[in-house]
Amino acid sequence: MSDHHDDQHGHDDQHGHIKLEYHPGLPLSLGKLCLWLFLSTEIMFFAGLIGAYVVLRFGAPAGTWPTPHDVHLSEPIGAFNTFVLICSSLSVVLCLEAAKKNQAAAAKTWMLITFVLGSVFLGVKGYEYKEKFAHGIYPAKPHGLMYDRADVYYVSALKLRLEAVNREMTDEQKAQEAIEGFTREQWVNLMHSGAVQWTARHVTIDPSTLEARDLLEGLAYSVQHGHSSDYPVARAQAERERLSADLAGLKEEAGGIQQNEAQMRERLEQAQAANAEAEPEGDAPTAEEIQSELAALTMQSTEMQQRIKPVQDRVAFLDVLLRDDAHLMQHGIEHEMPWLRLPFVLPGGNMWASTYFLLTGFHAIHVIIGLIIFALVLPVTLGRNKAEYIENAGLYWHFVDLVWIFLFPILYLF
Amino acid sequence: MSQSHENVEHAPHDPAHGHDDHHGGDDHGGNGKYWVVFVLLCLLTTCSFLTYFEWWEEAIPVSVSRAFMMAVSCGKALLVMLFFMHLIWEANWKWVLTVPAGMMSIFLMCMLIPDIGLRTNHYTNQRWLHAPQPVIEHVDSDHGPSGDH
Repeated sequence: MSDHHDDQHGHDDQHGHIKLEYHPGLPLSLGKLCLWLFLSTEIMFFAGLIGAYVVLRFGAPAGTWPTPHDVHLSEPIGAFNTFVLICSSLSVVLCLEAAKKNQAAAAKTWMLITFVLGSVFLGVKGYEYKEKFAHGIYPAKPHGLMYDRADVYYVSALKLRLEAVNREMTDEQKAQEAIEGFTREQWVNLMHSGAVQWTARHVTIDPSTLEARDLLEGLAYSVQHGHSSDYPVARAQAERERLSADLAGLKEEAGGIQQNEAQMRERLEQAQAANAEAEPEGDAPTAEEIQSELAALTMQSTEMQQRIKPVQDRVAFLDVLLRDDAHLMQHGIEHEMPWLRLPFVLPGGNMWASTYFLLTGFHAIHVIIGLIIFALVLPVTLGRNKAEYIENAGLYWHFVDLVWIFLFPILYLF
Repeated sequence: MSQSHENVEHAPHDPAHGHDDHHGGDDHGGNGKYWVVFVLLCLLTTCSFLTYFEWWEEAIPVSVSRAFMMAVSCGKALLVMLFFMHLIWEANWKWVLTVPAGMMSIFLMCMLIPDIGLRTNHYTNQRWLHAPQPVIEHVDSDHGPSGDH
């Protein structure tokens, strides 16, 4: 309170008392002062969030922060939302000017426009969130499908996911075509054995070898990748050639064992027949001996089949990946078969998602609060008596716009 | 000092009308300036959006591009604060509320640098095993798998 003495009106002529006049400490209304104090705390709040994003982003080693393309961010959509917020900032300031001039109808129109623009902004943001969720980008587990690196944990997650898909598919879904020549069930089984189990078997022996790293990176690349590269395709082609040669050798070996097995069965039958008719010759093996050899051969044959099956599945999987100029590998299994919802590798993706959803989420909450503030006065007459309310609401709304002005380039364009 | 001077100069003061009483009532010179600011904001947004196009990426280094975007953002923020938030017409109290908050924001960001920005400087070998693995781009595919390693 100030005790300025007004020469003209300060004295009561009859009683000689001094009239005290109220003056605020700052030349602005208490409501506006409180709002500015609130906004100054908000500046620090968002500075902390944006600052955390910036230092995380630029502190990340090269190649470990996703590009907007990797996380399905659309720059034109972001620019459109920026335009929408700028329009809403203009409309709210025009609303204030109309209210100050006591033009209630014009003020209400501008307020309604602001409200609609704010809702459009939220709608677009909701659409963007939906796109992220559709691609398995969530701020946290258990819904998030992103992995920071291709390692044994990633392979394990893929294995669990494929098993879950197999379990959850209905008979009708199982019979649906996944890719030319394969039903969904067949494809899931082939991927499980030819990609996931094959990789798991090789990398668990020694994950630090170059071969293991190549296998892991190749698997992660086949599922989903941000940038196309010829290397994984060339590597897969080389692997297929090598494994095809191995497979031919194994099949030949298995064929030899099966042939021996068939001969042995024939000899066994003969020996059993001879046993029944007369005493066997001294040097000739007895039926028991032949049976024992046959059992060993059968065991060898089974072992051979166990060795052939994974190689066969691996070659079949690589065949599918590499056919049509490696169409499936270059486009990504997740892209071609989104129903699988496979985990994928995106270095720094989880950190990005945490900061993105935190920043845009808090901003969206502020937008919602702003819309509620606008909605409260939409039904009333927006004359001069509401000018201060509109001014304060407008200040808040401009601050929301200010935050987005920095979020747009940092999130969408950096 | 200046505050009490203004109080005397413009008394009596109606707090309900905020800054306007200090500068000759409700009129800041019509709505034209708001439309001009709006057009400028749209132009500046277009400028920052230019960095999205491939020809820009090819012509301008990334660091320059980022500095340009931040400069554009600061310009837009200034326009909004000065004209839409009326700070250009406000008395000196605006510095009291905005400058400390702005400075503390900058300090806050700077204080995050050692622990968060430079976090990888202190990573142990064990920690690197769980850190995001950078995507290695194999530029020369003609060498095949063995050629790259």
